[in-house]
Amino acid sequence: MAYKTVTDVEQKLIEAGYIPSREIATVIFLAQATQKPVLIEGPAGVGKTELAKAVARSLDRELIRLQCYEGLDEAKALYEWEYAKQLLYTQMVKDRINDIIGATATLIEAVDQIAAQEDAFFSDRFIQPRPLLQAISSEKPVVLLLDEVDKSDPEFEAFLLELLSDFQVSIPELGTRKAIKIPFVLLTSNNYRDMSDALKRRCVHLYIDYPARDTEIAIVRLKIPDIEETLCAVLVDSIRRIRTLDLKKSPSISETLDWAQSLLALQIHELTPEVVSETLNVICKYQMDLEKVRKNMNRVIA
Amino acid sequence: MVKLIGQFVSCCRAAGLRVSTSEVLDSLKQLQLIDPTDELQFRALLRANFAKSLRELKHFDRLYHLFFHEMRINAGDMQQAASQIDQIRKATDLLREKPHDNPVYDAVVDFLAGNPMPLLAEMRRIHSESDDSTSPARFNFGPLASRFNVLLQINAAATTAAALLENNDLELDSKSRRDLAAHFDERIEAARSILMYEPRPGDTGTRKVKTYEQRLKDLGEKAFSSFTREEVEEMREAIDKLVRKLKNIVSRRFAVRDRGNLDVKKTLRASAKYDGVPLDIKYRRKTMRKSRIVTLCDVSGSVWAAARFMLNLLYSLQDCFDKVSSFVFIDQLTEVTGIFEEHDISEATRIVMEEADVHYDAPTDYGETLRNFKKNYMELLTKKTTLIIVGDGRSNYMSPEDAILGDIRDRCRRVIWLNPEPENLWGTGDSEIKAYTHHCHEVRPCRNVNQLVTFIEELVL
Repeated sequence: MAYKTVTDVEQKLIEAGYIPSREIATVIFLAQATQKPVLIEGPAGVGKTELAKAVARSLDRELIRLQCYEGLDEAKALYEWEYAKQLLYTQMVKDRINDIIGATATLIEAVDQIAAQEDAFFSDRFIQPRPLLQAISSEKPVVLLLDEVDKSDPEFEAFLLELLSDFQVSIPELGTRKAIKIPFVLLTSNNYRDMSDALKRRCVHLYIDYPARDTEIAIVRLKIPDIEETLCAVLVDSIRRIRTLDLKKSPSISETLDWAQSLLALQIHELTPEVVSETLNVICKYQMDLEKVRKNMNRVIA
Repeated sequence: MVKLIGQFVSCCRAAGLRVSTSEVLDSLKQLQLIDPTDELQFRALLRANFAKSLRELKHFDRLYHLFFHEMRINAGDMQQAASQIDQIRKATDLLREKPHDNPVYDAVVDFLAGNPMPLLAEMRRIHSESDDSTSPARFNFGPLASRFNVLLQINAAATTAAALLENNDLELDSKSRRDLAAHFDERIEAARSILMYEPRPGDTGTRKVKTYEQRLKDLGEKAFSSFTREEVEEMREAIDKLVRKLKNIVSRRFAVRDRGNLDVKKTLRASAKYDGVPLDIKYRRKTMRKSRIVTLCDVSGSVWAAARFMLNLLYSLQDCFDKVSSFVFIDQLTEVTGIFEEHDISEATRIVMEEADVHYDAPTDYGETLRNFKKNYMELLTKKTTLIIVGDGRSNYMSPEDAILGDIRDRCRRVIWLNPEPENLWGTGDSEIKAYTHHCHEVRPCRNVNQLVTFIEELVL
């Protein structure tokens, strides 16, 4: 399955439960058409990871996810030798070694003979593929999500360059592996640090901001279909007003959804200052923000 | 289309956006895949390829708007304008014939006729003029007056055009007259918005005297005491950037802490799993050293300028230290740790200057300060503590009590004295810095931001 036009992307993403803006749809379409990775930036909770999941669903591909963190290295991201398995096999085939070196006269010949068998122990059999290698060697095309790539070390970022531009990786013992099917790669970043220019060049950039009012209402109604239409509109309006306050962490879409869910659970049909005040913990994650919103309650509920 | 994109790219590059050739090629390739008449798609495509970070996005949006909306007539208008082209030309010819003696008027009329270049050149001249002024007192009368001139000419052109249409000099029917009027209104509005556009600092498209980095470097060499208020703000931004960089380096150091020496015990224990073969090698973790910092700042006169920047830096880097305690003094010691912990840095400096219990009119007394510190705060000093003193060492001929500094030195890891005075003045007059010097591990001049930054880098790393 592949996207045919920008409108096709929009439709398929909506079917997969994600409401994209025209910009998002365009970028996703272009990335797919040109087989380039997408670097998605934006505040936390605007649906960066969700977009990747929706892309995987709509293309009917498997999603392989690699969560990046400080200290992530190739052994955890690409592949690792299964030492224990190699050792076990060595133990089991110990007796066979005599067959190989039995006929040799000198020590040097014996070493040569064993060296000729080296491949048996450094083969695919003993490689444990991690997400990146999995994505590349998969027979079916997959969606590869590198989540929060800004949290990884600069060394790892440099390592990613080879993968992202040529879709190949080098394994010293086995040589270069080329991708069988080129995966759809998405990288997300929270602006924790700037990515290098080299990495940015290889990607199509997408910035996801808080959605427009109507889009947000549509998202809430899609995710929580039971919510009343009027309440939903009021709720989104007040969230949008809260975002205009100067908060440490502005509420994003995930907070809107949480809030809507909790109002539904509490069976509240109308948004009053008391209700907002009581349920504010869902939206504000810092005590300071909580107090600020309470202080500006008349602005939040117009 | 290729030509159009090429023009836009050179505009972007001139405005300081870094667009590489490969990105241009990509975007041209991608243009064939989408429907370029849908502006949302077209814009998203260029945005995705040209602006690759949050900072560049705003810049890009501004450029895009300027290039595709203000400079050109919209695609929809283009057709309409084509039908009107004769009328527009006739009208602008008439406008040009009106008696006038101002070259800017011609530029405005050209702009109305669809040629924005002369007006833009005029605006460029005004923007760059404001930067070329070398006189020490910077008045903005020059550029303001030129802008006012442009505004007058735009208004004059607007009135003449309106009068022209009113009198129906072109003998048009009412519909095309309305269309023409609407077209002129739009262009006049566009001309005004170009006039109103203020170049922002760092907006290298219109302001190109010195690069931002060069300017910061120059500021870094400037003595603290001669900073203006705006320069303090600018420096603060630069310091924020530096702090982020340092934090990055420090966090990376924490990342390598796992790679220490081989831990034989743990490795042997792990090897039991693999039949005694040490496959899984364990390392001893390096423990990271975080130092405690105690600062004593002289807040009299010029020293305060240096001390303020240092406190700013230290508190921004608080995560890199175990604890930062700070004191200010003139004739006696006042602890301000709490103020700096509770408020943000600019607020805290204000409180220290205005509300804290400090006698700003008293003469500086280093001896009393040290006695006071010894009596009340000696327990703050441990073998992990670095004591930083910021001051010129001018004690108004009162006892320097340098022996106390000796006691202090015995109790802590390092004593560092930062002196904001030029080195050739040290030891002259009432300066006791020479007496203090042999009790300190290090005495360094700290006259400007660059020196301060080097010091902080050494302290953190």
